[in-house]
Amino acid sequence: MIPDHLRLYQVVVIFIATIMLYQGFEKLIKRDSSQTLLKFFIRLVIWGGMGAVALFPPISTVIARFIGIEGNTNAVILTGFLLVFLMVFKLLSAIEKLEKRFSELIQKDALKKVNKKK
Amino acid sequence: MRKDYSRHKKIFLVIPVFNEVRIIKEVIAEIKKAGYYHLVIVDDGSKDGTYQAIEGIPCVTALRHKFNCGKGASVKTGIEAALMLGADIIVTLDGDGQHDPLDIKKLICPIERDNFDVVLGSRLINPKGMPKSRLLFNKFGNFYTWVMYGLKVNDSQSGFRAYSRPIASRINPQANRYDFDSEIIKEISFRELRFKEVPIKVRYTKYSMGKQQKQGLKNGVKTALRILWNVID
Repeated sequence: MIPDHLRLYQVVVIFIATIMLYQGFEKLIKRDSSQTLLKFFIRLVIWGGMGAVALFPPISTVIARFIGIEGNTNAVILTGFLLVFLMVFKLLSAIEKLEKRFSELIQKDALKKVNKKK
Repeated sequence: MRKDYSRHKKIFLVIPVFNEVRIIKEVIAEIKKAGYYHLVIVDDGSKDGTYQAIEGIPCVTALRHKFNCGKGASVKTGIEAALMLGADIIVTLDGDGQHDPLDIKKLICPIERDNFDVVLGSRLINPKGMPKSRLLFNKFGNFYTWVMYGLKVNDSQSGFRAYSRPIASRINPQANRYDFDSEIIKEISFRELRFKEVPIKVRYTKYSMGKQQKQGLKNGVKTALRILWNVID
């Protein structure tokens, strides 16, 4: 059941999760070489899970009971943890992309010699 | 009469090297003695003068990465160069003398005779002489690769492989470091390529076992994390 009044944190998490899922889905549809069905499935589990917890908070109570943590303070800490996770995720993606571009430049430079040889 | 396996089909050997000045000339001489004369050696930013040592050696196309980009990046550069130079079959092997050039024939035969796309040299079909720690490490690597990419092979981390020209031009692995070897398994699995595994001999010498950049536990963990990251990202 969707709650009547969404709180700000729920809107933010749902918004971010939707964007992340949309990006993955778009890559999959466009058959981007960096996207596979397995990758999309993992993205679906992580971001879909976050979105589901934000949309249906009682899920978190069930999970909290299951793993043994309860209380508002824990929820705040968890939210902070999720935000840090999001930032690290994006940051690592950006570093990875830069590293790949850097390697491509180095590789192209090395291949110039073969072009001259031809 | 000297053998020349490169005569009929253009067989190119791609060798990625990093700080191998002590052994690379020996490796080249051994390969030539085995009858292969098209070598592409990619120096991955060595600081010990490896590039200077290989530059100008007959039959060797010496290329250099200005900075260290990783084994995968070097193999990709080498394959690209071999394709530009007209290779029909491309064989990749390590530059530390672990691989026996006499095994190259075993790798190219399935492509020449039976039109296989990729041939994987496997150390684990006949693991005699392989250190137990490495055997365990490789078995874990195989299991991990199977879980991640859904293809069971005997040696997912071997760098001794052969590719037919059409496949070498088609595959597009993204990995630049040791995860490259596993990503080739992914390419085989996802593109449904015809592949064969053949047993190869590996010579574990004091030199090759002592190298820091080889797949040790630390690099193995890094590679596993990198594969996981590539799947998540």
